[in-house]
Amino acid sequence: MIVRIKRQDDASSESYYQDFVYKGSGRTTASQILEAINSEDDLRDAEGRPARRIKWEHSCLQKACGACAMVINGRPALACSYFVDADADGMLLLEPLSKFPVISDLAVDRSCIEEHQKAALMYLGERAEPNAKERGQQYSAAGCLRCGLCLEVCPNYVGPEGRFYGAVMANESYLLASSTKDRRREIAKEYKRHFARGCSKSLACREICPAGIQTLSSIGYMNRL
Amino acid sequence: MHVLITGSGISGMSAAISLAEAGCRVTLVSPFISERAQSVMAAGGINAVLDETPGSDSTALHAEETLKGGCYIENKEAVRGLCEAAPDIVRWLDSIGVIFSRTQDGEIAQRPFGGQSRRRTAYAGDTTGKQIVTAMAQKCREYEIKGLIDRRTGLDFHSAIVKDGRCGGAVYTDRTGGELQSIYADALIMATGGMNRIFGKTTGSALCDGYAAGRLLSQGARLRNAEMIQYHPTTIETPNKRMLISEAARGEGGRLYYEKDGGRVYFMEDRFGEKGNLMPRDVVSRCMYECPSQVYLDISFLGERLIKERLGEIYKLCLEYLGLDVTKESIPVAPGVHFFMGGLRTDDDHMTDIDGLYAVGEGASKYHGANRLGGNSLLAALYSGRVAAGACMRRGEAPEKSFGDVSADILSDIRTDGDGPGPSQILTGLAGIMNTRLGIVRDEAGLRAGLAELDALSKEAERRRYDEGLSAYENYRIPYMLITARAIIMSALAREESRGAHFRSDFPDTRDEYCRCSLTSCSGGELSISFEDDRIRGDRQ
Repeated sequence: MIVRIKRQDDASSESYYQDFVYKGSGRTTASQILEAINSEDDLRDAEGRPARRIKWEHSCLQKACGACAMVINGRPALACSYFVDADADGMLLLEPLSKFPVISDLAVDRSCIEEHQKAALMYLGERAEPNAKERGQQYSAAGCLRCGLCLEVCPNYVGPEGRFYGAVMANESYLLASSTKDRRREIAKEYKRHFARGCSKSLACREICPAGIQTLSSIGYMNRL
Repeated sequence: MHVLITGSGISGMSAAISLAEAGCRVTLVSPFISERAQSVMAAGGINAVLDETPGSDSTALHAEETLKGGCYIENKEAVRGLCEAAPDIVRWLDSIGVIFSRTQDGEIAQRPFGGQSRRRTAYAGDTTGKQIVTAMAQKCREYEIKGLIDRRTGLDFHSAIVKDGRCGGAVYTDRTGGELQSIYADALIMATGGMNRIFGKTTGSALCDGYAAGRLLSQGARLRNAEMIQYHPTTIETPNKRMLISEAARGEGGRLYYEKDGGRVYFMEDRFGEKGNLMPRDVVSRCMYECPSQVYLDISFLGERLIKERLGEIYKLCLEYLGLDVTKESIPVAPGVHFFMGGLRTDDDHMTDIDGLYAVGEGASKYHGANRLGGNSLLAALYSGRVAAGACMRRGEAPEKSFGDVSADILSDIRTDGDGPGPSQILTGLAGIMNTRLGIVRDEAGLRAGLAELDALSKEAERRRYDEGLSAYENYRIPYMLITARAIIMSALAREESRGAHFRSDFPDTRDEYCRCSLTSCSGGELSISFEDDRIRGDRQ
């Protein structure tokens, strides 16, 4: 199988595409293919030319850490849970997320996700008595992987410099506002500023979330505050 | 005062928050954000006695079962401290927003876990670690906003800054450009996790690689119980790696069996009775090793509703990675490397042999002895962070802060110009040796062969090629991972008995003279193994 990768040597260099041959077979994942290519001691591209190892982030390899988010065959996904039939004809196209600055190859700088949370003073304060009615949604919202896929597909999210912080903000706001005893008003205010005013409700974020977070429920709760 | 912490998983954040709560300044350094740490993979729960009414449970019983699970080589006082702090830790987690599962009365729900006679494991669905990380990252953020915690990501650990036996900070390399960065502090806390990568792919994170253990061993710290490696009984083979099927599956009633003559043999129940499936992990793994054919875990009879509600991650993992519906079919399982009871040796304050350098979490050897109980790793991560933070505060500011510029000394260490194999090839070889020689059952011949193979690999590694396509860290970590591997094999050779996770077919019995922890020291580049004199105090059962 041919694996075409959008490469970039470092943050300031030009990007280019390079093809590799994956020699394995059967049902596998994009992350396993990347690992297999990178584990070759003398790495060469499909033309037989020496190639630099492919930079990408990974940690858990089982959809729990969000590290390996990238664009696979044109669709943002986690490489560890993107399945491929290596025996089938066709090509696997791997590109970095486009809404974040590229560090190198498929690794991007997603530090803005946390910086946004800090800028919006997203912390709990004192916890209110747990509310049984909200527990399911709170558990779901707390599962956010910080992978950035929701921001990648969002038509309103323009990048780190924008004022709109995307679905991460909606879910974090919900989690904290529904759990806090003393910071509800401040959180609701930040939610309006950094989410409600910018969201056009495409709901692409809901479809793409690998953790299956019900972002619409978070938005509904926050809009009622 | 200013404390430097390497690693921002649960144990690192526990230390950081404890210090910040007391007004101390913290620099929290890690290659990636907390959400990428192995902590998010801890599924099952955290042990604590939350109801100590007579007849229900007690911290003394929790401590006794922890000691028993660890085969009585741990320090009784240390384990008691861990178990006594557990209820407060779980209530604190609740107070910072962890979404624990609850009973109908609104109390934190608890379930049974292996090696324990009571329902003691508090849980948050079956993503307890992730739920804890989310809440703690939020708490850290509060202290970042308030100016007490300075988080730095994108940095890999290189070495501790040590002068005259005292630690005054650490050197890191930038993950992107490879530049050196020295950070000086009154104390350094290492929270860098286990040694997974030495074994290639395990159930844990690829980021935990045993480098820090090997580096600090060469800088004067000692390792303890390096041979004690937990094989979790229930892991599944997937294209990516072996994935964990949480002990929660058996806690909720899951049954292990193999097939014979068209029927099922529930071997754990046959051997240990009704609660056989929940024997300690070392016992279950060894029994599985002896099974004549593929072992299966059946949870289908628990019903779709309970499975999706309490074991939803297992349902999703099996469906996605195996194409298997656990509400209808059994799961083919096998033991896999999961947890390292061994790590840096620390004192009661979690300080290593280097003054001012502390170790916490899975990277420190404490509490779990020869085998860890499920639900005790999250507890130990949180507790050890607190203990180390408290000790740093009691110790106060370092009197001498001049360490000079250390960068020049280590620049030569980073780059190598050999013509031998690259780091990737060496790591593949290393994982092969470790998986072959350090399995569930070991013997002298195999371990000696492993040492010889490691010698040959280390020799090749001396002339290793610098791989420009990898980060500086991925290049310079190699010789120190080999040192850690050597410590593991040598410790396994020295312990001529079977105890907990360490089973020697040539010494199948447990021997009293080894009822203590092994220690690995490094002097002049040579490793040596000894055993702690500090035997178990008090009665053994």
